[in-house]
Amino acid sequence: MQDFLELAVGAAASGCIYGLIALAYLLVLRPTGIINFAVGEWAMLAAFGGFLTLTRYEWPYPVGMAVVLLFLFVVGWATERVAVRPLVEKGAPILAPILALLGMLVVFRESISVSFPPDPMPVPYAFGIGRLEWGLLGGTYQSFFIIAVTLAVFIGVWYFFERTVAGKVFQAVAIHRRAAALMGINLSRVTALSFGAGGVAAGLGGLLVAPNVSAHYLMGVPLAIQGFSALVIGGVGRVEGALLGGMVLAFAEQLTVRYAPIPSGYAQGVPLLFLMIFLLVRPSGLLKAKA
Amino acid sequence: MSALVRGLVAIVVLAGAAFFMGDYHNDVYRKLLLWVTLALGYNFLFGICGQVAFSHFAFYGMGAYSIVIFLFELHMPFPLAVLAGIALCALFALAVAIPSTRLEGFYLALVTLALGQLFIVVLGEGGSVTGGTGGIANYRLPEFFGMRIRGPWYTAVIVLLLVFTYAVVKRLDSSWFGRACRAVRDNPEAAAAMGVDVARTKVIAFTLTSALAGVAGMVYAFVDNTVNPPIFGIENAFLLLFMVIVGGAGRHAGAVVGAVLLFLLPFWLSPLVGHHHALVFGVLMVTAILFQPAGLIGLWDRFSRSRS
Repeated sequence: MQDFLELAVGAAASGCIYGLIALAYLLVLRPTGIINFAVGEWAMLAAFGGFLTLTRYEWPYPVGMAVVLLFLFVVGWATERVAVRPLVEKGAPILAPILALLGMLVVFRESISVSFPPDPMPVPYAFGIGRLEWGLLGGTYQSFFIIAVTLAVFIGVWYFFERTVAGKVFQAVAIHRRAAALMGINLSRVTALSFGAGGVAAGLGGLLVAPNVSAHYLMGVPLAIQGFSALVIGGVGRVEGALLGGMVLAFAEQLTVRYAPIPSGYAQGVPLLFLMIFLLVRPSGLLKAKA
Repeated sequence: MSALVRGLVAIVVLAGAAFFMGDYHNDVYRKLLLWVTLALGYNFLFGICGQVAFSHFAFYGMGAYSIVIFLFELHMPFPLAVLAGIALCALFALAVAIPSTRLEGFYLALVTLALGQLFIVVLGEGGSVTGGTGGIANYRLPEFFGMRIRGPWYTAVIVLLLVFTYAVVKRLDSSWFGRACRAVRDNPEAAAAMGVDVARTKVIAFTLTSALAGVAGMVYAFVDNTVNPPIFGIENAFLLLFMVIVGGAGRHAGAVVGAVLLFLLPFWLSPLVGHHHALVFGVLMVTAILFQPAGLIGLWDRFSRSRS
């Protein structure tokens, strides 16, 4: 039991990371219909941002975090400007911006690979290394920090979409782009902000996971796969689905590694297995979109 | 008939060139031919059928590993090993394609990305069967009728593979199936309304091109006489996509031009940028999509049209 609870805290923290990456997909996917392959690389950029601000220049954690997330907002916004907007304005098929973002994935990754040595770069924990015991639950400071931050983000996003006028604007675009445009909604601003917000969500995921895995230029693709699996499991219709999907995936992964008698590398197969099963059995995900 | 003659001439010219090359250039030439073969197959899947997939190199690797394992660990006879390897690739392709093409959108891309990533892990963890991270080496092409194909003659085998692949995709492209694929790519709803089974078309295109990649992998297995995980990494699947896009998706000539250019580019670029030519490729690909979606072959079309 102790063993399981220990594992549960770690798994919940990983689930939160996957949930944040899934949220980054979702924020771009819903209003635009574009699957943004570059979210994993955005997370990687944030991890390197964390290395620069927190490890090399030793800024205080909140300052470094704010600067990195602001930078990621700009990256997301600029990505839309450079690789997506010209194609949308030309009326290119939806495949074109998706492929352009794929190209951007390689551009981001290779830019980092050119600028930094190939070794993993350390990124510090938010509250240092230490354990927190809370009743039966126990885990590292970082695990609890990840869970708290992610919950705050999801509550904020939920509140934004459900309770504010600006959020309703985004919802309207997600439901029907043309109708929203006819209602006087500025589509290109909504798209740009979606990409910016996606950048922040992915960046937060990257910054939070970086202390555990170290910043490395190849860390993006696995995160992108795990985040997308979480999205498919939870369902693309609702924001909560991203977090739920992340949790389901992370628990399945951790339980496999802990209790199944296979090499731990095969845990990378769990997302693929879940993708297959959900695409076959329940393609709409666990949570259905509201009518 | 004239197609047959043209095919024979192509074989003689392409294979004949190998006999005038030294060992090093023969090796480069063989890899170039293999890339062109892969690009032709991938172009059918991506350019003609509109399916984004990253598993092409995984199937290439599956073909290479399966022939080596079947021949030298299970000691199967050669023809049986070839058939078993193709069947393995086709089965895996079916298992991946059936769930992921049931839905609209780009599920296949993500599923195959995960498959490509997992394939490398499985190779690395495979213990004595796959040889782990070191792969398998020290095997040789079996003898046929007391002779062993080697040197430029093996290059000729690769030329045969290339011409065979070209014939298959060309033939498919000009059949009803090719038209169905293009219809699925351009407008799935309209294709369905015309009586094309969209999901089945996608699954067949994916399975066929993956099997072609598997066959190419089998031929590759005896080029370096070693197979190891890094050769079949996900990076190369990206490169393949870039080749087809930069050359001109949906056109066989485009796939050939793109493959030749992007294969040779690192040789010229490495004095300038070292090992970082992937950055150049990424920029090239984004630029192509933004400014020249028809690729280099589209540029050539415009040039030749303006002249005439």
